Amino acid sequence: MINAQRFSVSSGIKHLIVLAFVVLWTLPTAGLLVSSVRDADQLIVSGWWTALVATERNAAHRTGTADSQVEVDNQFRIDGEFFREDSGRTVVSWGTGGRNLDEFQAGDTWVQDDGSRLTVNEDGSYVWLSEQPFEHARGIRLFYIAAIPPRFTMANYERVLAAEGIGRAFVNSVTVTLPATFIPILIAAFAAYALSWMNFWGRSFFLAAIVGLLVVPLQMALIPVLSTYNWLGQTWVGSLGWEPRSYLGVWLAHTGFGLPLAVYLLRNYMAGLPREIMESARMDGATHFKIFITIVLPLSVPALASFAIFQFLWVWNDLLVAIVFLGQGEGRTVLTAQLRELLGSRGDNWEILTSGAFVTMIVPLLVFISMQRYFVRGMLAGSVKGG
Amino acid sequence: MIKKRTLAVAITSAALATGAMAQDLHFPIGEGPFSWDWLEEFENLDLSGQTVTITGPWLGGEQDSIRRVLAYFEDATGANVDYSGSDSFEQQIQVDTQAGSPPNMAIFPQPGLAEDLARQDLLVPLGSDAADWVRENFSDGDGWADLGTFENSSGEEDFYGVMYRVDLKSLVWYVPDNFEDYGYEVPTSMEEMIALSDQMVADGETPWTIGLGSGAATGWPGTDWIEDLMLRLHEPEVYDGWVTNDIPFNDPRVIEAIELFGEFARNPDYVAGGPQAVATTDFRDAPQALFDIPPRAFMHRQANFIPAFFPDDVVVGEDVDFFYMPSYDGKDLGDPVLSAGTMMAITRDSNATRALMQFLQTPLAHELWMAQGEFLTVHLGANTEAYASDVLRRQGEILLGADTVRFDASDMMPAAIGAGTFWTGMVDFVGGASAQEIADDIQRSWDDL
Amino acid sequence: MLQQLILAAWAIALAIGLSALFFIGSNVLLDRTLSSDHIRDDDDRSRRDDLRESIRPWIFIGPALLILTLYLVVPVIYTLWLSMNSRAGFVGLANYTWAFNNRGFQISVRNNLLWLIVVPTLSTLFGLVIAYLTDRMWWRNIARSLIFLPMAISFVGASVIWRFIYDYRGGTDQQIGLLNAVIVAFGGEPQAWISVQPLNNFLLMAIMVWIQTGFAMVLLGAAIRGVPEDTIEAANMDGANDFQMFYKIVVPQVWGTVVVVWTTITVLVLKIFDVVLAMTNGQWQTQVLANLMFDIMFRAGDFGRGSTVAVFIMIAVLPIMWWNVRQARKEMS
Repeated sequence: MINAQRFSVSSGIKHLIVLAFVVLWTLPTAGLLVSSVRDADQLIVSGWWTALVATERNAAHRTGTADSQVEVDNQFRIDGEFFREDSGRTVVSWGTGGRNLDEFQAGDTWVQDDGSRLTVNEDGSYVWLSEQPFEHARGIRLFYIAAIPPRFTMANYERVLAAEGIGRAFVNSVTVTLPATFIPILIAAFAAYALSWMNFWGRSFFLAAIVGLLVVPLQMALIPVLSTYNWLGQTWVGSLGWEPRSYLGVWLAHTGFGLPLAVYLLRNYMAGLPREIMESARMDGATHFKIFITIVLPLSVPALASFAIFQFLWVWNDLLVAIVFLGQGEGRTVLTAQLRELLGSRGDNWEILTSGAFVTMIVPLLVFISMQRYFVRGMLAGSVKGG
Repeated sequence: MIKKRTLAVAITSAALATGAMAQDLHFPIGEGPFSWDWLEEFENLDLSGQTVTITGPWLGGEQDSIRRVLAYFEDATGANVDYSGSDSFEQQIQVDTQAGSPPNMAIFPQPGLAEDLARQDLLVPLGSDAADWVRENFSDGDGWADLGTFENSSGEEDFYGVMYRVDLKSLVWYVPDNFEDYGYEVPTSMEEMIALSDQMVADGETPWTIGLGSGAATGWPGTDWIEDLMLRLHEPEVYDGWVTNDIPFNDPRVIEAIELFGEFARNPDYVAGGPQAVATTDFRDAPQALFDIPPRAFMHRQANFIPAFFPDDVVVGEDVDFFYMPSYDGKDLGDPVLSAGTMMAITRDSNATRALMQFLQTPLAHELWMAQGEFLTVHLGANTEAYASDVLRRQGEILLGADTVRFDASDMMPAAIGAGTFWTGMVDFVGGASAQEIADDIQRSWDDL
Repeated sequence: MLQQLILAAWAIALAIGLSALFFIGSNVLLDRTLSSDHIRDDDDRSRRDDLRESIRPWIFIGPALLILTLYLVVPVIYTLWLSMNSRAGFVGLANYTWAFNNRGFQISVRNNLLWLIVVPTLSTLFGLVIAYLTDRMWWRNIARSLIFLPMAISFVGASVIWRFIYDYRGGTDQQIGLLNAVIVAFGGEPQAWISVQPLNNFLLMAIMVWIQTGFAMVLLGAAIRGVPEDTIEAANMDGANDFQMFYKIVVPQVWGTVVVVWTTITVLVLKIFDVVLAMTNGQWQTQVLANLMFDIMFRAGDFGRGSTVAVFIMIAVLPIMWWNVRQARKEMS
C-alpha cells in the first residue's frame, strides 16, 4: 500500500471543498429523486424541497344540496367531508370566498342571514344546520386552506416498471449496448497501439484524421450510412439474409461513431507507457502482437475502463441511433424509446420522466461503481509518466 | 365469412407463435354506435402475410388508440399493421425517406413537411378520385382536399394527404364555478370578451393565463393566437394569402393581429404573472392558473387537447368548460374556426397499404377512435353518437358548424418559418420587440428561403 | 422473454467472439505464413521479418480505418457536397455567403465561442481539483460516484432536472425553481432565468459543466494515481505546501491527460445541441451551431444549408487537430 499521507492538503479544508462540490453536484439530482416520488399535480405547484414538510394548499368544496338533507330532532342538517378518507389532511382555516380563506378557523361556525349554521371541523367534516328545510338545488362553495402532510407515492415508478414491453426493451438495450461497447474498444485498442508504437506510412496523417473525425456531427452520418445499409440489403448481401435494420447494423454504427474518441483516448494513454518495457520486449524477440496482448493491454486497463464507461453511457442513453438503425418494429425498441412512448405525444405524462430517468440511470451507475477499481493504475504506479 | 375469421385466427395464432402480439378488439363487432357495415368489404379481402408499416407522432395513450383502430383492419384482412410512434418523427421520416427505406405510410403532424417530401417525389400520389372523395365526404371538403394537394418535383399538382384526426384550436377554457362566483357571463362576441377582461381587471382579478413554453417548440402557442385573431380581424382570403406569403408577413393587416395579441399577452393587467412569465411558462403548466384558489386567471385560450394537462381530479364539462373563441360582432366575418390535424400519406406503395388507406377513410375508422376519446373528425359520414363524451361532441359541432374553417397557418408555412422564425418571433414579441420588428424579421427569413 | 435473453446472449457472444477472432486469427496467420523461423539465410530472414512487420500495422489499424471511412469519412465528403447544393441543384458557395449574412448564424458563432472558452475550462479545472482532493480520501468512491452521477443521466433527464432549478413563476406565486426560491428567500426579485440575456447562455453552460466534470474527474483521477511516488516524496521533503504540490508537481505530471480531457470536452461542446434543444431550442439568443444545423436540416428540411453549418463545425476543430498532432509528434520524438 502506498503512503496514505502523500498529499498533505490540510484535511479539514480538503473535506470541506469536496463536500461543497458533492452537495452542489448532487442537489439537482436530489431534486429529481424527490420529484419522482411526488404526485404529478404537486410537481407543478410547489418546489420539490417543500415535499419533505407539511404544506398548505388552497382548495374549494361545494356543499351538498337540499336533496342530501336529513331531519334530526326538528332540525334539518346536511353533512359532508372535504377530504377523502385517510388523506391525513386537515383544515387550517376557511371562508366563503377565494379571497377570504381565513374568515373562520377550523371548528368555527358561520351563522348565515337565514339563520342556518355551518360548522367546519379540523378533519374536514362539516355540518350545516337549519330550523327550516333547505331548498337549494345547488350547494354553496366553501373555500379553505388545507394542511397537507408530506406524501410520497411510488405510482410514477409503478407506471414505468409495469409498462408493457419494458422488460423486453431492457433486454434489447443490453443486447445493443454490450457489443456496441466492446467492439469499438477492441478495434480501437489495436489501432491505438499501432498509432503509438508501430512505424508505418501515414501515421501522423491518420492520427490527425482521427482527431478531426471526433467532431463530425452524428446527424450528418445518418442518411449516408442508412443508404449504404439499404443498398447492401438490396444487392447480393441481401440474398444472404442481410436486413438493413439489424442489431449488427446498430453495433457497427455505434462502433463507427464511438471509434474516434476510443482511438484518441487509448492512443494518448498507450503513448505514455514507458518506452523501456517495449524495447526490452522487442529485444527478447517478441512480436508486436505479443507485446500488445501480454504487456500493453493489461497496462491499459484504466484507459480501457474509462472509455468503456463513457461508451456504455452514450449507447445506453442513446435514442436516435437505435431508432434509425434498429427501427421501431414490435419487440425492437430499446429502453429509452420505450420510456419515450410512455410520455405521450405532447409530453402528457412528463412526470414519468422523473422516475424514468432514475430507472435508466441505475444500470450505468452500477457499472461505474463496479468499475471504480479499474480506473486506477495498478501494477506500474510510480513508474509511468502521466499520459 | 366464418371461414375467413378462422383463417384470421389461425394467422393471429401463427403470429403469436413467432412472438408478435395479438390485440383483442376493443369494441365488440356489431354493437354500439358504429358503422360496422364498412367492415364487410375488408373481410372479403385477403391480405394475410402482408405487413404495412406506419410511422407517426402519436405516443402513449394515442398510440394505444390508433393500434386499437388498426386491429380491426388486421382482423378483417389478415394483414399485419405495424404502427410505431416517435417524438422525433420529423427527423426520422426525413432520414428514412432520404435513405430509401421509408415506412409504407406516414402520419404527418404538419402538412408543410408532407409538402416538402412531395416536392422531392418521396410521397405516392393518391389520385384525383381520392381528392374527390375528400371533397364529398368531409365538411368543408374543398378546403381539406386543397390542404392535401401538393406539387411534385416537376411542378405537377396531385393529391397526397388525407386528414385523419382533427384538432380544434379556437377554444377558451374557463372554470364555470369561478365565473358564477364573480357573476361573469360567457362572452359571445370579441367585444364582449374584451369588455369581460376589462371587468375582471376592474374587479382586481387577472383575466388570462398564457404560456408559450414548449421545450424545443417554444413559441407555438403564440402562433395559434395570431392565427385565431387573423381570422377574426380579416377576410379568410387574407389568411390564405398570408399563409402562402402572397400577403407578406409584415403587411399592416398581419401586424394588426400581432398587436392585438400584444394587447392580451403584453398587458401586465391581463396575464397571470405578467408578460415576463408568458414566454417562459410551459404551455402544459399555464392552465393551472385557472384551478388555483383564488383563481390566478379566469380564461385560457388553447386547443381541444389541453385537458390532458389539467390536474387529475378535474372533470371536463363540470369543473372546467370551454366556449368558442368569439368573433367580432362589428365585423361581418361569421364564425371562423382554427383547426389543425394529422395527415396520412403513403410513402411506400403496396396493395395492403392502399387497402389500409381505404379503411382509414371509412366512417368506422373514425368512429372507433372517437369512441376512445381525444379525437375529432370532419368526416360527414361518421356517427357523432360515437363520440366518447358530450364535451367532444360539442367540439365536433363547433367544427362542423363553422362558417369558415382554416388550418393552422404555422403548420402550412415552410418549416423554416412556421416551426422556426414565427416561433422565435412570438417569443421576441412577448419579450418586448415591436410587432413591426418581428414581422420584418420573419418576412426577411421568408425572402431568404 | 427467456428466448430473447438467450438470443441476446448468443448475439453478444458471437459479436465479441468474431471481432476477437479476427485480430487473433489474422495475426497468427501472418506469423505462420510469413514465418522466418525456418529460413537460414540472415538477409532473407530479415527481409521476411521486415515484410511481416510492415504488414502487421495494417492488420492492427485496418478495421479501424475501414469503419471510420464507412461511418465518418464518407459522410464528411457527402456533407461537403451537400453544402454546395440546394434543392434546386448545385449552388457553389452560395450557402456559405448565406451563412455569413445570417443573423442566427452569427449569434450561434458568438455563443459557440463562449461555450468553447467556458465549458472545457471549467469542467477540466473542477475535474482536476476534485480528482486531486479525493485522491487519498477515505470517502473517495462515494464522492466520485456522486460527482459522476450527472454523466449517467440522459440529456432529456438532465433537462427536467434543470427545469426544477431555473423555473420561473410570475407574480406572487410560489416559485418551484430552486434558484428563484433561494433568491426570494433572501428578499430578491425572481427572474425568468432562461430568457435573461446574455446570462441565459451561461446558465445553459452550467448544465454542461455539471455533466462533464465527472468525465474530467475520471480520466484525471486515473492520471493522478500515476504520479510517481518519488516525485511526491521529494516535494514533501522540500516542504512544498498543498498548493505548490498541486500546481508544481501534480499538474505538470498529468498535463498530457489535461490536454486529452480538454480536447474531448471541446469537441463535445462543438457538437452539443441536446442541452440547448431541450432547454430553449436557441430562443432568447442562445442558439449554437450544432442546434442550428439540426434545426435547418431536420425541421426546415434544408439539407444544403444544414450541411454548411456542419462544415463550419468541422472547420472549428482544425486548430485543435493541429495542436494535438504537434503534441503527439513531440511525445514520439
